[in-house]
Amino acid sequence: MSLRVLNPNAEVLNKSAALHMNINAAKGLQDVLKTNLGPKGTIKMLVGGAGDIKLTKDGNTLLKEMQIQNPTAIMIARTAVAQDDIAGDGTTSTVLFIGELMKQSERHIDDGTHPRILVDSIEIAKRATLQFLEKFKTPVVVGDEPDKEILKMVARTTLRTKLYEALADQLTDIVVNAVLCIRKPEEAIDLFMVEIMHMRHKFDVDTRLVEGLVLDHGSRHPDMKRRAENCYILTCNVSLEYEKSEVNAGFFYSNAEQREAMVAAERRSVDERVQKIIDLKNKVCADNEHNFVVINQKGIDPPSLDLLARAGIIALRRAKRRNMERLVLACGGEAVNSVDGLTPDCLGWAGLVYEHILGEEKYTFIEKVKNPHSCTILIKGPNDHTIAQIKDAVRDGLRAVKNTIEDEAVVLGAGAFEVAARQYLVNEVMKTAQGRAKLGVEAFADALLVVPKTLAENSGLDTQDVIIALTGEHDKGNIVGLNHHTGEPIDPQMEGIFDNYSVKRQIINSGPVIASQLLLVDEVIRAGRNMRKPN
Amino acid sequence: MREIVTIQVGGYANFIGSHFWNFQDELLGLAETSETNPAFKNHGLNMDVLYRTGETQQGILTYTPRLVSVDFQGSLGSMSSRGTLYNEAPSRPMDVVSWSGKVTTQASAPLKKNLFLQSLYQEEQEKMDTVNGFDSGKNESQNEIQDKDIVECLENGVQYWTDFSKVHYHPQSLYELNGLWMDGEGFDNYGIGRDAFVGARHGEEINDRLRFFIEECDHIQGIQFVVDDSGGFSGVAAEFLENIADDYTNIPVLLYSARNPRLHMTTKSQKQSISSSLHDAISFSRLSTFCKLIVPVGLPSLSKSKASRYLCMDDEKPYHSSAVYASGMHSISLPFRMEPIGPTTDLTCASGALDMNEIIHMLAGQARQNMVTILDVAMPAPSLIGNQLEQSLLENLEPLTPEIAENFEDLQAVEAMSVHGVLGTGLHEATVSEVKSAVQNAYEKALQRPRFSQLSVSRCPLPIPLPFPSIFGNLVGQHGELLGTPILGSPSRGSLDVHSIPMAARLRSSSAILPFLESRLHNLQRFGIQRGALGAELLRSWGFGKEELVDAGEALSNMVRTLSPYSEESSESDEVA
Repeated sequence: MSLRVLNPNAEVLNKSAALHMNINAAKGLQDVLKTNLGPKGTIKMLVGGAGDIKLTKDGNTLLKEMQIQNPTAIMIARTAVAQDDIAGDGTTSTVLFIGELMKQSERHIDDGTHPRILVDSIEIAKRATLQFLEKFKTPVVVGDEPDKEILKMVARTTLRTKLYEALADQLTDIVVNAVLCIRKPEEAIDLFMVEIMHMRHKFDVDTRLVEGLVLDHGSRHPDMKRRAENCYILTCNVSLEYEKSEVNAGFFYSNAEQREAMVAAERRSVDERVQKIIDLKNKVCADNEHNFVVINQKGIDPPSLDLLARAGIIALRRAKRRNMERLVLACGGEAVNSVDGLTPDCLGWAGLVYEHILGEEKYTFIEKVKNPHSCTILIKGPNDHTIAQIKDAVRDGLRAVKNTIEDEAVVLGAGAFEVAARQYLVNEVMKTAQGRAKLGVEAFADALLVVPKTLAENSGLDTQDVIIALTGEHDKGNIVGLNHHTGEPIDPQMEGIFDNYSVKRQIINSGPVIASQLLLVDEVIRAGRNMRKPN
Repeated sequence: MREIVTIQVGGYANFIGSHFWNFQDELLGLAETSETNPAFKNHGLNMDVLYRTGETQQGILTYTPRLVSVDFQGSLGSMSSRGTLYNEAPSRPMDVVSWSGKVTTQASAPLKKNLFLQSLYQEEQEKMDTVNGFDSGKNESQNEIQDKDIVECLENGVQYWTDFSKVHYHPQSLYELNGLWMDGEGFDNYGIGRDAFVGARHGEEINDRLRFFIEECDHIQGIQFVVDDSGGFSGVAAEFLENIADDYTNIPVLLYSARNPRLHMTTKSQKQSISSSLHDAISFSRLSTFCKLIVPVGLPSLSKSKASRYLCMDDEKPYHSSAVYASGMHSISLPFRMEPIGPTTDLTCASGALDMNEIIHMLAGQARQNMVTILDVAMPAPSLIGNQLEQSLLENLEPLTPEIAENFEDLQAVEAMSVHGVLGTGLHEATVSEVKSAVQNAYEKALQRPRFSQLSVSRCPLPIPLPFPSIFGNLVGQHGELLGTPILGSPSRGSLDVHSIPMAARLRSSSAILPFLESRLHNLQRFGIQRGALGAELLRSWGFGKEELVDAGEALSNMVRTLSPYSEESSESDEVA
């Protein structure tokens, strides 16, 4: 209380009040996200003050949309969002797990256990669970040709928690094929090589995988073709616009001819660059059966466009930087930074290039490419919030497939792992733990059950019945999960319900860390704003 | 025609931007109405420089600013981030097509539109009704919103910058940073802003928005960038600028780093004041690295400064102070929009076209490579009658840039001045040549002359739109003329009494900026670089290593050195152009 002497306005929450503030914040956040979890969860429609609609079932998106002010809740939210950055999924589970861990610990603390003892034994339980996860995981042989079926099952498991079944199943194939398309042996998977493009057009089921690339801009000249077959693609980063020289020299001329000569001279260097491209085109397209497309990262001004159009070339300017890389992966060839020494080897190839116009938005499709190592998922939907939601789901799906390939393992889903881990902790670890250390292990074990419990709750089932049925089966030695339709135990292996190994590991790793930190807080000091204000 | 893309980052920058676009919208409106002043009708400005033509999916043509605006989530008040132009036919928002399970709706209470926005909305409805052939005249009498009430309601109740904006924005224009979980108070330093841009997917998305506007431009002349540099947004802006410098190497950026006068008033603890001094130094040094010309604006107390001699405002209200900065920005942007000299140019309404590259080159690219310029304005500018102008136009130009030396003699100064709508005899706008010769006379009589000066003149005054704060003092007349005797009644006059004002604004590259630079250099060295500096730890948490700081310090001291009168061996000829 010496702080009071220093600053009479400072507010101090003592031991139990501080702890309960933290626990309540964790529980509050848990309550908000609880209904999100699983294939029977609730989708949330957020309507802003100005009438903007956001649709989400993703914990990560929901957290970001909430204007959280409670400092403890912000800490938890940051951990959960970091979970998404690292593992790509599991935000909701992280929040639930932290909340439940705090809730379980509260019971023991209220009974007089010192938080330090709890925290230490939670750490023991965490290590034991991680070891158990290593034993429990199902290895996946990846090799050169990964088992497509298992990838699909993982992707389907995550997508079905975000989208209705038919659409989820359709997207499952899309995301698996997309990741396999960009995958190169011996290299890490770069998901940026999957472009995600959206169009406010038609229906969600028109979402498709384009083997090739979709660009969100088109040619800027009326005479350029809108559709071309058998195209050579030149990917370049060369300025094709006239820029005034840096030296501040004015034009000095006394008549119109001189002025024109001046302008022409200034333009000449740009025109020369354009001419080199045209020369290359004439060389490779001599037979008139091929077309030529230039995709430039820099600008192309109208006179240059004109020259290119007259030579029958389709030209796009200001392409995304990342598309330069994607184009080369999709079409072949190489991205050139200078038009000097252009050879036909620099060119990529695409069977079909066409433009699609929606109002003022133009899209250029580059399709029918050979051996693509980059592709585009084209999301369609009737309105922006639906598109945004599908986009979130696709991102999660891609991450799930990528994780599986990189982990070379999956974990049985539908709550099977959590129940199994809990039984392991209760039956094996508790026996070896000394004295009061048992309490923390027990708290941890019970907290793990939050996933199957919430799944059951969201499906409208009785949580007690479900947990008893599940633990019963596990004690008999059957690894089972929850059937969210009937509440009966099922074999997730048979049903094809798999979660990512790295997501689970991350949740078990980060959840207890933050929970322990919060439990050890014994004094909260704040000079300034009132923190008891309900949020 | 050479396009400009405008970028506004941060709360106060958007306040300024909102006024700026209101001026443009007013100009567009006045040019269409027939019975207005001919100066508005043929303003000789090409609005396509700032605006883009588009088309909705329904095929309706649109005309919207070429703008990317970045702000907090929830800073748009009652305006939707996607604007209203491109909305599809109102579908039932309640049907969720992508989920077959349960749906919960969490609606925050809709923000009430203020009187001004209501009247805009009504006007639009009526326009639609007349198109559709409905008769809406019957209940007009009760629904009619009085202009007087609107002005009053804005005067007291502006909370968001959208509250007084009458412009339609493109759906790609307005970007909200979500997932920050903090308000303006916590978002107060460079480090936080930088993390916000780099983390999450904000950076990529904002870059995509900008690309959308730049891709359309046939021949872009530059980017006009306004940043609220008082807090984390300068970190956001610096990262954004770095990307721009990478992606669009040859496109010049003219940067206004603006600051709300309100912020200077709060008292701080020592720790906070170190943090804010370091923030100022770091954000200035980072921002200036990635642009071609930087104009710091934002006086600690604008209402008491000389610049508001004829104005009467409240520093507490960003609605007030931002209007002054926006006016200055508008005046400076005029030469960019004038038609360049050619056979068809009409010299009667405007002269002195410059593009952004030229102005930057003139101010920053001459013998002294000084990229930090001072913004001076005369608001309103005095008229030509009775030689008022000759005596006072130059004296009336007062700086909006903080921390500069006054009455500083600098023979090397370079200036670019833009004068528009100055009144001549009989309260008519003076002709271009009259203004030119008057300014020339003024320069000849002046005690100090700059080394080089460029003058752009337009006949078109600054139009005062309805949603404009009542900031004019009682010496300002209906057309912005300065009166001999004050108008009795109210101390301040607003858009109902004053319809347009003449303006003069000037960008000045002068060593008068030295105190501004020196204080930043000094603070950086004292709190950041020196051994045992108090702020070293803080800077590390912002992600700055020792080398970076030393580099930043060196860059700042280079800026000081180019301007410092002592270090310069006067080798250059002293001719005055």
